[in-house]
Amino acid sequence: MTLRELWCRFSGVLRRRGFDPDLENEMASHLEQAKADFLQRGKSEEEAERLARVKFGSAVAAKERVWEQRQMPAISSFLQDAQYAARRMRKSPGFTLVTVATLALGIGLCSVISSSLNGVFLRPLPGVPEPDRLAMIWAPVPYPWFENFRDRGKGLWTIAATMASAPLGVAVEGSGPERIIGAVVSPGYFATLQVQPLLGRWFDPRLEQAGGAPVAVVTERFWRTHLGADPGAIGRTLRVNGHTATIIGVGPRNFIGTVAGSLNFPEMFISVTSGATIAPELRDDVSSHSTKPLFYLLLRLAPGTSLAAAEARLDATARALANQREKKGRLIRLIPAGRLLPLNKEKLILTLGFDGALMFVILGLTCANLGGLMLARGAARGREFAIRLSIGAGRRRLIRQLLTESSILAVLGGVAGLAAAKTLFGLLSRIQTESNPLTDSLMSGPDLKVALFTFLISSLTALGFGLAPALAITRLDLVSVMKADPTAGLGRYRRLGLSNTFVVFQVAAAMVLVLIMGFFVLGARYGSKTKPGFDTAPISFFSVDPARDGLTPSESADVLRRIPKRLARLAGVGAVTLAEQPPLSSTFADTMVSVPSLKAQAVAMQKVGPGFFSALGATMLRGEDFTDQDLLSGEDSGKIVPAVINQTAATDFFGEADPLGRRIQQDQRTFQVTGVVRYAPRASFMGRPIPIMFVPLTVKDLEGDATEGTTVVIRARTQISMPVLRRELAAIDPRLTPFHSQTTPGYLAESDRVDPVDAAFGPTIGLFGVVLACFGLAGVTAQNVQRRRKEIGIRTALGAQRWQVLRLVMGECGVMVAVGASLGFAAAWAFVRVLCAASAQIALLISPVVSNRALTVGVPSLLIALAAIACYVPARRALSFDPLLALREE
Amino acid sequence: MGPLHGYGIARRIEQSSGDEVLLNQGTIYASLVRLQQRGWIVAEWGTSDNNRRAKYYSITRSGRKQLAAETSYWQRLSAVVRRVLAPSEGGEQ
Repeated sequence: MTLRELWCRFSGVLRRRGFDPDLENEMASHLEQAKADFLQRGKSEEEAERLARVKFGSAVAAKERVWEQRQMPAISSFLQDAQYAARRMRKSPGFTLVTVATLALGIGLCSVISSSLNGVFLRPLPGVPEPDRLAMIWAPVPYPWFENFRDRGKGLWTIAATMASAPLGVAVEGSGPERIIGAVVSPGYFATLQVQPLLGRWFDPRLEQAGGAPVAVVTERFWRTHLGADPGAIGRTLRVNGHTATIIGVGPRNFIGTVAGSLNFPEMFISVTSGATIAPELRDDVSSHSTKPLFYLLLRLAPGTSLAAAEARLDATARALANQREKKGRLIRLIPAGRLLPLNKEKLILTLGFDGALMFVILGLTCANLGGLMLARGAARGREFAIRLSIGAGRRRLIRQLLTESSILAVLGGVAGLAAAKTLFGLLSRIQTESNPLTDSLMSGPDLKVALFTFLISSLTALGFGLAPALAITRLDLVSVMKADPTAGLGRYRRLGLSNTFVVFQVAAAMVLVLIMGFFVLGARYGSKTKPGFDTAPISFFSVDPARDGLTPSESADVLRRIPKRLARLAGVGAVTLAEQPPLSSTFADTMVSVPSLKAQAVAMQKVGPGFFSALGATMLRGEDFTDQDLLSGEDSGKIVPAVINQTAATDFFGEADPLGRRIQQDQRTFQVTGVVRYAPRASFMGRPIPIMFVPLTVKDLEGDATEGTTVVIRARTQISMPVLRRELAAIDPRLTPFHSQTTPGYLAESDRVDPVDAAFGPTIGLFGVVLACFGLAGVTAQNVQRRRKEIGIRTALGAQRWQVLRLVMGECGVMVAVGASLGFAAAWAFVRVLCAASAQIALLISPVVSNRALTVGVPSLLIALAAIACYVPARRALSFDPLLALREE
Repeated sequence: MGPLHGYGIARRIEQSSGDEVLLNQGTIYASLVRLQQRGWIVAEWGTSDNNRRAKYYSITRSGRKQLAAETSYWQRLSAVVRRVLAPSEGGEQ
């Protein structure tokens, strides 16, 4: 068929069937001419007319053939099918509504999952040309390596270094300092990204020399929010970490920088040449001869350089630099960096795999549920199909009809689901308080890519829930259906029949969803139920970051030692101490330590000041609190450091034995347990606090560059008011700016507050699974009861008791539920195993939950109980069958 | 061969085949539609010799080309068939 013919036919489809004046005229003219011919040959008027018609043949058939020639058969019969389907859907609005709603939920959930996946991981980096050419070295390297890579990559790549994004204390003229996320980058950063400034210029390797006047580049967003979109912003000065810096450039619109080392996108860029006075991260000459791996490297690969080739070359160079030519594997791993959040391949596969599996189970469940519904409905339509089959419709045509119906439903459901997802994200973005590039991208909701994906899964769903029932329904025993045997359409009961398979699958899928969601959601949330181990009411805290207020290291250490002493003199203040983090802050057991006689253990490590535990009022179960002596001690390698552990760590490491004086090894460092404290942080799994090892803050730490500053912990009858605090700090050093001032109960309430969306998501998926499975089960039970009406009637007539009848019906369900539940349990277990094997982080998160009884026993029991109710409700109908009525149907 | 209307075409087929091909004349219209769709003929309303309105079909250039191709194909095919079916000239009887 040529293209032209195809087009003619296609436009023919759009023309409506019916009277075609052109064809009618042509045929009339044909008949007249034929008649005239016959008249000429001497026939009578009547005879000529008759002969002309005989010669012409059936006019109807001729028209029909022309019509067919003008049509595209597939499309026109599709339109017929669609019209018929629409008519049927209008006739049973209840069925249509339930089906579309189920589909909308199932597809909508997948649309939400895929939007968030897309929003966080799959969007290309905004504002950057050719993001596909960007790559990143996953782990930080020392600065000299960067210089080496830069010099060796001529023609193959351009490369830039950036430190982990960290707060900067920024003050715009006329307002107080504010903590802004910044990034310390090498001068070639913007050239590597190939972005053009909106205003001013970028850092220039020739102009930005070590020791030069500090300069800063800000994003367009910062320029709008903090500089009032001032067109003359270039040349204005800011205070950055207490020092004056000149703005030399404003980034282009949409450009949000890149992430490194944290999930924070920077709003201000400082050149590595600015020096340590302005950026405490640059202390210890890290950007000259240091071996400290602090720099993340961003590469733009030249056309023709593949990621693998670049990685191999970088790796070879790194091996030479590190003098580790023999080491196996790769020293340098290169990952694509053209996306919002660069992920290494393993993590990307894990994330996509997990979400993909989740979507598969959700859609599978939806398909099984609707497939069952379609089967039941198909049974009710047995007569209709039998009639169509017996007057000559092909089975193919009927299957096509059924598939058309399910496609229309699926597309409706898909559109509704996508609209629901769009609305949901719209609502969320309105209630969301903080705005940063990541949440903004997440909250922008489904885009065209997600819409296409939704359409794709809708079509697959249509096939999923339409095909098997269509095949089953059209396999009819015509004679018995036409004889109006009420059970004929239902087919013979088969233990492994399609509807039972659907039910088993639904139960299994529901079990998987509930268990997996339970593991992740409930498991990780159990923490907020833990008791801290002491009274938090009198505890409050605030943070200071002297380094970012512009103090030198020694000034910083000095003021941090003076602050507790000065504040402790205030009326009503009981004790003041220092810590790295707010007390009870949630934390991960992410440090591996080893204890003689034990294998490696994961523990959270926190640094705290002298008198930390007595200030909190925490009970020392054994041993002593830290003292000023510990603070003053330096941290030489080889020296044994005192450590206080909480009771979880004590039990984990030493069991019943006395922990005091025991040694704990971490890398090259050795710790000795000097105390055991009752202390349970917010992060814990299933009621069990995380093991923590506290080590003393040292003067070196107080000088340091901790990016979150240092927390000052206060025990007082009433919280010190902000003005008083400012006054007291100003008396120590006027540059000090306190931030994050909070009471501990307030802080805990805030950290326990779960994002309502996050909180709702897991349970919604679980509930969706359970509800769908229960309805599916109830539907199939009702159908089975209907099918066995006669049998039940006879049994009742012969004297079967109510419980015997009930057992008969429920027994069938019981088998299905048991099989489904076991399959689901096994699948969830396997799924968790795979996840744990694939990611140590996930293993850390969920392995304590996997063995939790409430989840592994409670959830299946609950599901089975609900399933039993779902069976019982329709099964009860079997009891009310009148045996006479049931038998009379014969 | 100038433009012809449907009836004329039907008659021509019958006559040129020596009345061997006798068709239901109505069936040619679907074929005419197909030939139009492929761009081998075009149709236009006109007036016949005896002053009747009729739709006239004429062959296009690509139609001629197609006709030539089909004709030569048919001649080759029929020649082959003839040769295959012709009594062999030697050997077996």
